[in-house]
Formats: sequence, structure tokens, C-alpha cells
Amino acid sequence: MLLNGVRKAAIATAKNSGKNEREHSMAISLRESVLLVSDPRNLDASVEEVFQTMLGVGCRRCSEPLVQEQESVTAVVGFGGLLSGACLFKSSGSVAIKIAGHMTGMVFSEIDDTVKDGIGELCNMLAGAWKGKVPELSANCGLSIPAVITGRDFKLHLQAPEFQLNHVYRFEDSSFAVIIVCDGLQ
Amino acid sequence: MSEIRTLIVDDSSVMRKIVERSLRQAGLDPLLVFEAASGTEGLALLTTMEVDLIVSDINMPSMDGLEFVRQLRAQNLAPGVPVVMITTESSEEHVRQAILAGAQGYIRKPFTAEQVKERVLPLLTAA
Repeated sequence: MLLNGVRKAAIATAKNSGKNEREHSMAISLRESVLLVSDPRNLDASVEEVFQTMLGVGCRRCSEPLVQEQESVTAVVGFGGLLSGACLFKSSGSVAIKIAGHMTGMVFSEIDDTVKDGIGELCNMLAGAWKGKVPELSANCGLSIPAVITGRDFKLHLQAPEFQLNHVYRFEDSSFAVIIVCDGLQ
Repeated sequence: MSEIRTLIVDDSSVMRKIVERSLRQAGLDPLLVFEAASGTEGLALLTTMEVDLIVSDINMPSMDGLEFVRQLRAQNLAPGVPVVMITTESSEEHVRQAILAGAQGYIRKPFTAEQVKERVLPLLTAA
């Protein structure tokens, strides 16, 4: 799975966020705050906040691996600007259906367009909440429109990322994974 | 009490439903909701009807929320109607851009019905 498309969109969003070229060229850097940016607690706090606020359920990071089913749903939101990379949400199809139900108050029997839309929006909020934890990142990193992939037998290939967070979370009796991949930091 | 006619602009149908639910939970009742999946669709709707409140996402394909509000104001559509942006983008710069474009309110996702109430009700009262 290639992330170039979502990354390009995120870079375009960052460029259009109102800063002019001179402002862009100012010496804003995340290099010195890489420890803060990659702090795993930021991701945990973001996931817990989004689930509590938008789904009304508590969730906690867990140490067990993600439960795999034949059908999976993966959402990707690209980062562009001072940080390039992506936020990924991954769950089984049944968990995606359950999450979409919590978000909308509706009952779903299959992974239809509304379920995919809900999971894309959830990933968008997770990405936004995560980057919002670091002020420099919040102001100088854009988000792409979410992309959602359903199916199985695909693998995510990454070439030497700067850092990667791959956390599994549990809510009620279900689990899902949230992955932050950073492959460029200015 | 007359209906509060509200236009919700968001490319996500799920978010439109969540925003509608939050507005109702915030006490906006009776509420009559119109939905648009893009800024372009929102502008087209506003040429044919009047609303009391506009709630828009920012990050949308084709025409984003900021451009939607700029064109809304430039074309003098819905004059005096408060616009609230609801978005994942939360930096001061994004808030400044939204205000410059012509929005009156700004709510960051994820949001609670209480936050919607605090930001939206005063705008409706002022309008």
C-alpha cells in the first residue's frame, strides 16, 4: 500500500493553510522536539479522548495483538508539512461496524459506505487530535482527506521511518490498532 | 418557537449526522436541517433558501470550508447568518483563517454537545 497520494494531499493542505512562502521559510523545526512528537502517551491520550467524546465509550491501550478477521477495514490520513507521514486506523470488519454504530446511533449489518465514511472520519479525528498535542505540529502540519481500504491480504511497507507508533486499544470486548508513521521531520 | 433552519456542510454523511445530533442535544429545537456534501453544494442551496445557522467542515475536497465561507460572504448569500466551523484543525492560525474568511465560531473535533451549546447558542441569540 503506497501512501504517496494521501501525503501529497496533506502537503497541499498544509501549503494552503494561509502561511505565505516567507513564513514557511522561517526556521520552524520539529527536529529538536522529536521526543515530544513521538511520545506514545500523546497517541494514547488522543485515542481515549476521541472515543470518549465521539463514541461515548472508554478505551484503553492493551498489550494483546490485534484480533484478525478475514475482512478488515483500514483508514489512512496523510500528514504533510513539518512532519510527513500518516495516521492509520485498522480493525476487523465487525469492530468497524460496531464503531460506526456507536458514532451514528444506527445499526449496520455490513461494511457499507456509511461504515467506511465513519471509520475515515474517526481516523481524521485521531490524526487531528494527535497532532494537536504538539503546538508546532498543530500549526504547521496539514491533514489529507481520509482514504479507506477494505479487504484482506495487503501489507503496509515502510522504508526507514523516522519513528513509528503502533498501538492496540481495547473498548468493550473489541480491539483496534492506531499507527502513526513519520517518514520525514523538518 | 419557530424552526431553526440549519445548513450543515460536510463531505462526510456520518459527521453531518453527528453534528445534527449534537445541535439537538445542545438544545436547538425545533431544528430543520439541510445538508450539503461540499462547499459548492452549500452555495447552490443558499441561492434557493434562507437559513438561520450554517455549520461547516473545513477540510473538504473540491471546495474547502474556508473558500465556501469566503464565497458565501463575497456573494452576499445568507447575510447576517452566523457560520460555525467544525474541524480537526485546531491551531490559532486555522482559527484566524476561519475568522478572516467570515466565520463567527470555531469548534474543534472531537466535540461535546456542551461545547456546541457554548459556541452556537450565543451566536443565534446575537443574530
